[in-house]
Amino acid sequence: MNGEVTEALKQKIIEHLGTVSKAKNKEVAKALGIEKHLADKAIGELSKEDRIEYIYLDTSYIKLKGK
Amino acid sequence: MDENTPLLDELEKGPWPSYVKEIKRAAKKNKAAKDLLGIQELSYKDKVTHWKHGGIVGVTGYGGGVIGRYSDVPEQFPNAASFHTIRVNHPGGWFYTTKALRQICDVWEKFGSGMTNFHGSTGDIILLGTTTENLQPCFDALAGIGFDLGGSGSALRTIAGCVGPARCEWSTIDTLNIVHDLTMEFQDEIHRPRWPYKFKIKASGCPNDCVAAIARADFTIIGTWRDSLRIDQNSVKEYAEKGFDIHKLIVDRCPTDALEWDEKKKELTLKPEDCVRCMHCINKMPKAIRPGVEGGATIMIGGKAPIIKGAYLSWVLIPFMKMEPPYHEMKELLRKIWDWWDEHGRTRERLAELVERVGLKRFLREMGIKPVPQMVFKPRANPYVFFDKK
Repeated sequence: MNGEVTEALKQKIIEHLGTVSKAKNKEVAKALGIEKHLADKAIGELSKEDRIEYIYLDTSYIKLKGK
Repeated sequence: MDENTPLLDELEKGPWPSYVKEIKRAAKKNKAAKDLLGIQELSYKDKVTHWKHGGIVGVTGYGGGVIGRYSDVPEQFPNAASFHTIRVNHPGGWFYTTKALRQICDVWEKFGSGMTNFHGSTGDIILLGTTTENLQPCFDALAGIGFDLGGSGSALRTIAGCVGPARCEWSTIDTLNIVHDLTMEFQDEIHRPRWPYKFKIKASGCPNDCVAAIARADFTIIGTWRDSLRIDQNSVKEYAEKGFDIHKLIVDRCPTDALEWDEKKKELTLKPEDCVRCMHCINKMPKAIRPGVEGGATIMIGGKAPIIKGAYLSWVLIPFMKMEPPYHEMKELLRKIWDWWDEHGRTRERLAELVERVGLKRFLREMGIKPVPQMVFKPRANPYVFFDKK
């Protein structure tokens, strides 16, 4: 798989999540114009860093931690 | 509850094990199991189920692994008002120590009804019946003894495989390792449902396909071999001398006429290019015929039960793929398929249905896979072919 997760990319995701109440991984990928697998990877890291959290409403969404 | 269950009692008769008998045993020490009997009896009486699908229930951090169930007669049977199912990820090949089994049972007797399925059709350990309040402590206790939840909902379901090389001489791939490796790699995909619908991966070590992967999995891994069958002519002669009719039972039944039998020499020969690896001759003459030595897998896609459309059997996508850890090629293919399906699939549309809707041609093009004859989805149904005169 191509593409590396960078802190800049993760910061962009955080900024995007600041503008929405919740989002799916593929919505994040689309909004930032990046490949979905790269978004998945970055979101996985953000989750491990406890900066975002998952919510499950039939499908999985992410949102900023504590928002 | 009323312990009079004449309709259920009928299911205890006969020579076979009875689930009613087991529920009655559990009911002696568990109130939920006791009320379950009552609900079942009422369902038989009313000729309608008294279970309803239970909305969203789960444990912290996971989007799946728990299937909510509520009774629609909670006032009559309060101890089984909620009766959720927990799916527990099984170890590859379903091997357990007796200690591990006792630990699971101890947890389940503490937090649930005490009733289980070993194993559900998903392959998981199925723990039947607990309350919403007990879900989290039960999960914590299971985690404490080294078990995790399996998949449910629109996610990657718990990956299953046959016992493979651990117990079977035919396996050409290490199904146990494949199951374990993919399970570890795809934890997010198992626990965080985010696709159009479910996705199943199953691995069988040889074309006998003991886990029925072809019929059940969206992504089917079937052990095969690239070289040719190994035939031990001395053993072949022994079969013939013992009266085994090799011509009738093996050669005539080879689906592609790939075998030839020399009655005088008592010699069986193979035309390797015609062998489709159906396993028939191997199954019939296990002492004389074995799979080849250059093992790998055929990757197939599209098996499913009816939902939007009818049942599908898997069809070939990659005729031969080497299966060596860490399985980069297979993982990359899986990710490509998921991204494409996630992008284009409609809600509750399985991969096979999407491929049929948009066409195999487009699917192959977007996967970057060249078409080969083995991919033929199904034989032409209409035998009449008309050519334009030019």
